[in-house]
Amino acid sequence: MERALLAAASGMAAQQQNLDTIADDLANADVAGFKGSMQIFGELAAPGSPGAGTVSLGTRVLLAQGKLERAGGPCDLAIDGPGFFTVIDASGRRAYTRDGSFARAADGSLRNAANQRLEGVRIPAGALSLRVLENGVVQAAFANGTRAAGRVRLAEFDAPDRLRNVGGALFEATPDSGPAREVVPGGSDGPKLRFGMLERSNVSIVEAMMRILTAQRAYEANAKGVQAADEMLRIANNLQRG
Amino acid sequence: MDGIGWAASAMVAARARLDVASENLANVSSGAFVPLRARAVLTPGGVAVFRERVGLHGALERTGRPFDLGIVGAGSFTVGAPGGSATQTRDGRFVRERDGTLRDPRGRMLLAAGGAPLRVPEDARFAEDGTVSTPQGRTVARIALPHGSSLHAGFLESGGVDAIAQMIDVLAAERGFESAQKVVTAIDGTREKSASDVARIR
Repeated sequence: MERALLAAASGMAAQQQNLDTIADDLANADVAGFKGSMQIFGELAAPGSPGAGTVSLGTRVLLAQGKLERAGGPCDLAIDGPGFFTVIDASGRRAYTRDGSFARAADGSLRNAANQRLEGVRIPAGALSLRVLENGVVQAAFANGTRAAGRVRLAEFDAPDRLRNVGGALFEATPDSGPAREVVPGGSDGPKLRFGMLERSNVSIVEAMMRILTAQRAYEANAKGVQAADEMLRIANNLQRG
Repeated sequence: MDGIGWAASAMVAARARLDVASENLANVSSGAFVPLRARAVLTPGGVAVFRERVGLHGALERTGRPFDLGIVGAGSFTVGAPGGSATQTRDGRFVRERDGTLRDPRGRMLLAAGGAPLRVPEDARFAEDGTVSTPQGRTVARIALPHGSSLHAGFLESGGVDAIAQMIDVLAAERGFESAQKVVTAIDGTREKSASDVARIR
């Protein structure tokens, strides 16, 4: 019964973790460029001995492309294909994201909502408007014509599954993922940039709700297992009468 | 063996049955988990329970990740450290590392048909017969599969636990335990009577 209790408790803890992950997905379902993730569970067993429940083997990010949609921001960018934007914060730390909602800052850089600067772009003062081509070339329009204002390059990784999520749609390189490799967009079979569009998160709300229901029922089933084990202990304790 | 002994062994068996059902329920979300089954056997020493694996495989679920591999039919993946001990698993949740090897969530490498770690390019294609090739069609490696089985990339095998059947097992175990306890109590009651009442002299 102790074994049943422990196994059922491990199942409840696992489903709790599962729910946390799904809740995080749902909370970020409207964040541009967000990538959903998934808990991975495995049997908890030492070799040769019977199992003792379940254990989380960590989470995995699903890097699949989200849908591109037309957006109303002044400098919205989306990546069609693999790769990440490289953004740099005030202290010079690099992070990688597929969230391309940028805006022009006073110093001529393109910055996202977290005030991180998009690498490779510097817009001259006095530019009226701005355009980014499929191949990443940034064109600034002036009253007397257009001028190049830098080029957006994308970062790719040897093992993108090993990137570390640092909140929202931001990722950081790890030794396992390898360093960022610069890729020029616009090649015939490479990624392309889409100006005026944003990548939606790849979280499907319907699917997330379905996963919540499944996790909730699995939690309940395991709770029933705990109850049954408890009831058996009670019965065993009442064997001795009087 | 006397009645109390039989009933006690039935209680132990019910407990073992609950252990198995709880373990299965705990693993309801574990990928490619093969459920356990409690098999009760009547022996001269009472009811004995054996735990065994049921060869039940879950359905394939689409994930869309390029290195998730699922097997339809018999067969399994050989994983392990190169030169170390190899293990068989049906759990195909692999991640491609920088060096091109595929690792499962427990950190074990996928081994090719020859026993060497499988190295695949970023855009590898997996054919249904287990052949791994580049997009240009050059064969890189082969995952050994028995005849008649097929490999599917972008799919994962879910666990084979039927939660409803396991819940019923939990209830049945609980009630079986209760019934056996009633038998123990009843026999105990008759013994108490014979011990205290039958020999009483008025």
